[in-house]
Amino acid sequence: MLVLRGPTRWLAYLVLAVGVVVIIGPFLWVALQSFKYEIAILQGSWIFTPTWFNYSDVLYSHRSDFPTNVWNSVVVSSLSTFFVLIAGTLAAYSLSRLKWNRWIARTFLGWTLIFNMIPPLTLVGPWYLIFREVGLYETLTGLILAHITLHLPMTIWMMMAYFNEIPKEIEDAARVDGCDRLDVFWRISLPLVTPGLIAAGVLAFVFSWNEFAVALNLTSRASATVPVAIARFAQQYEVQYGQMAAASIVSTIPALILMFFGQRFVVQGLTMGAVK
Amino acid sequence: MKRYDLVPGLLGAAAGAIFAASPAVAADSFMDVGKQAPITILINASPWYNGFESVVNLYEEQTGNKVNLDVTPFPGMLEKGRSAVRDPSKSPYDLININSTWTIEFYKGGFLDPMQDVDPNFQVPKEVLTLGDAGCWDDAKQFRTCKTGKLMGYAPNGNVELFYYRKDVFDQKGLKVPVTFDDVLANCKVLQDPPKSYGYLQRGEKGDSIYYDWMAYMLSYGAQDVKDAENGDFTVTINSPQAKAALDKYIEIGHKCGPANAGTLGQGDLIQLIQTGKGMQAQGVVAAFPNFDNPQKSAVVGKIYASVLPRATADGHPGAAIGSWVFGIPKNASAEGKKGAIAFSKWFLTYKAQYAYAEGGGIPVRGDVFDSDLKKQDKFRWMQAYEDEIPYGKQVFGYAESAQVTNALGLRLNQALIGELTSAQALNKAAEDFYEIFQKSGRKTGKIAPLPE
Amino acid sequence: MLLILLTVYPILNLIGMSVSTIGFQAAREVWSFTPARNFQDLIDDDIFRTALWNTLVFAVVAVTIEIVLGLTLAILVASVSRFKGLVRTVLIVPILMPPVAIGSMWKLMYSLDFGVLNQIVTSFGLQPVNWLGSTLLALFSIIIVDVWHWTPFVFLILFAAVEGLPKEVIEAARIDGARNRELVFKIIIPLMKPALAVAVLFRIILAFKVFDEVFLLTSGGPGTSTEVVSLHLYKVFFEQNQMGYGALLSLAIIAATIAFLWVGQRAASAVGAR
Repeated sequence: MLVLRGPTRWLAYLVLAVGVVVIIGPFLWVALQSFKYEIAILQGSWIFTPTWFNYSDVLYSHRSDFPTNVWNSVVVSSLSTFFVLIAGTLAAYSLSRLKWNRWIARTFLGWTLIFNMIPPLTLVGPWYLIFREVGLYETLTGLILAHITLHLPMTIWMMMAYFNEIPKEIEDAARVDGCDRLDVFWRISLPLVTPGLIAAGVLAFVFSWNEFAVALNLTSRASATVPVAIARFAQQYEVQYGQMAAASIVSTIPALILMFFGQRFVVQGLTMGAVK
Repeated sequence: MKRYDLVPGLLGAAAGAIFAASPAVAADSFMDVGKQAPITILINASPWYNGFESVVNLYEEQTGNKVNLDVTPFPGMLEKGRSAVRDPSKSPYDLININSTWTIEFYKGGFLDPMQDVDPNFQVPKEVLTLGDAGCWDDAKQFRTCKTGKLMGYAPNGNVELFYYRKDVFDQKGLKVPVTFDDVLANCKVLQDPPKSYGYLQRGEKGDSIYYDWMAYMLSYGAQDVKDAENGDFTVTINSPQAKAALDKYIEIGHKCGPANAGTLGQGDLIQLIQTGKGMQAQGVVAAFPNFDNPQKSAVVGKIYASVLPRATADGHPGAAIGSWVFGIPKNASAEGKKGAIAFSKWFLTYKAQYAYAEGGGIPVRGDVFDSDLKKQDKFRWMQAYEDEIPYGKQVFGYAESAQVTNALGLRLNQALIGELTSAQALNKAAEDFYEIFQKSGRKTGKIAPLPE
Repeated sequence: MLLILLTVYPILNLIGMSVSTIGFQAAREVWSFTPARNFQDLIDDDIFRTALWNTLVFAVVAVTIEIVLGLTLAILVASVSRFKGLVRTVLIVPILMPPVAIGSMWKLMYSLDFGVLNQIVTSFGLQPVNWLGSTLLALFSIIIVDVWHWTPFVFLILFAAVEGLPKEVIEAARIDGARNRELVFKIIIPLMKPALAVAVLFRIILAFKVFDEVFLLTSGGPGTSTEVVSLHLYKVFFEQNQMGYGALLSLAIIAATIAFLWVGQRAASAVGAR
């Protein structure tokens, strides 16, 4: 974006390096804890004999459902992200490009924002009743629907911002060349917002991956997701730091892999559609 | 370093011992409860969960009845319990575990079936500790009492705080186990050497932590929240001179014997300081004890001993606030489910089941299990102290406004501890808060003369 | 259809509750209409006012730092030729950790006696810092955690916006002799306004909802120094089961969020940022 030369360039790299170290540092520290017995964690020791105990306890102990929890999270987060991206992008494009009645558009956008402001605490009671009523309580489908509802507003707003960044002239030119509305969207606008689509997807995924309050209330042991499982390590009289650290580390791996492939999927899908 | 290498071996040996022991226990006959429909229990993840799970497995093995456990993180227990009992169609659980501080809401709202409405023959065996009548509710008096109330549930687990101390250090320095809070202060003069060691640890974190730990002082100094809640007199007495003496002592000990962050010391911090060997004396929950002897978690294995909490005066009594859980049967559970829940409860409260529960790491609720050969075992060396203290046990704040009252108290005490308010100011403010709460809920309430500020 | 039900029903329910007192009898809800009493409770609620002030301070400070850092990182990463993918992956990591783990782990890092932060501080020969135990520092310590947790969120939104900027415009400006500073302030930031607005908007909303970090790190203490609105709501609505007043409190929080965003937008346009 900027052209960095000489000392500025080194300064830029330095700032980036510091940023990366500060952000990754605590995470690495957590990773380090996951190889310690609890006493070494509590004492804050730096010299210790590493152990796999926390990992084996999290993954293989007979009371652990962690692999199931991870699988549930994978299903819920990927599917809800998929649907949120489709619905959110279409809604955003239509709001940003089609001539909606101002009043309708504003009400809709305002509504999504206000919905986002509702404290989750007051949301879960009514939702529990609705999902019991329609028979989706304790199912992953129910949780997926809930997460789509929760995370759609942010996706719509983000995608609108990215669509609005594209100069209208580019699209108009294409229209003049004889593309219809759908072609313009699919071949011109969407490829231009690929980075935005990826960012929105990553955030929808991450929010779904970490959502606790709703997941807790709509799931049971068999359908519990990762955050619910990890919260079990924060007990009334004790936080099981070692297991918590191990579980946090384990859960980031499938998420990172999924996001990596998700990104490639999006990029490839769009380059196929784009006019090169 | 060496110690860690030993751990797998030790664990293996312990596991072996449990497996070897269980067939022997199983050989004797357990209670026969007949064929029952499968039941689902809402239970929290906790240090004693393993003990509970092993007993449930034993039950399934013995009776062939199926029990599903929904293991829920502690912060989600109230929410899931509420959703279940408020469900207009049917509760997903047949037995729910409720923290005793929340029980009033469930009793008062009519969400639980009295045990004897489900099965008129159901009796809690007389050996089972009542733990301050946690499981009884008198709807007319709106109070937890077994004398006139109905049996709504029973405690699967009774937790009180005990006095913990480092026996090795006490022996070496020739200190005696303190009887009064002043003895604690005297000991701590010798022991306090921050940041290497702390003389006495008590929780000071705003909220439930501080109010619960201060109960040890309040009850022992003879102070009360209100005059006579059982009989409907809610005149606020939290700013009595006794309460001030209790708070002053608490603050003095907090400042002279605790770490610099005494005002934010929570459960986790306190146990951390004990397990790492910095805490020399402490007030802590009995549920934490097994951790002290676990070499994976503790640097003071075999060194922590338990005794009864200190008291205001040598001839007084200790203040033991009970924090238990209560198993109750939701009114909207299915008929077979309720029947199955009763059957499980009968079985669970037998001596044999409770004995197995204790062995598996649970805190039993039968007095005769505490009296058994278990307490001779080194790992159960806390049992004597527990047995000595439990007669003084009290369930506090046994009325509907308890959550509001403890929230207010938890803030005011903390403000006094960190010096935002003097002890008199804090208690007067707490009294104001209480008074308003009771007035709004339409209680017969009043005030006493405020403390001079 | 279900989606509409899922968004509309809770809000209607919230509004209905906010003017009522809700009790339970024989396992059934009993509603009584008490708007005046609920409003009186709101007016009398000193803790709510303190909490609102703390939340405002928290939101303004944390979000400002996050936007500045996120924007800087976004422009820098877009400008360097190497490590783009790596940096982006690394920056996702904090938001991938469940908030309960973040709260618990930072509590450990902040520990007075054993925490890694005090190990670093004392290794420079300084006195250990009472991160969470001092009324002056506690809110600041929570802001640090929040900045660590959420700067990546801002970065992701803004980085995508930088990458989506029309290259031609920037090239043209550069050929016209614009320096980097001018490029950033005159071209890039104005073009990114929609994305910046979205980042600020959602960060503010999330900041007003901050709960887990505060709950796990300080429970709102010491005293009331870190009491925030969501924590107060948790006590009233959830712990004390005052559903009527709790609902009014959540509407008040929503209103405060909207008012804050509105004032913020007005202020921004007054200084010509928009």
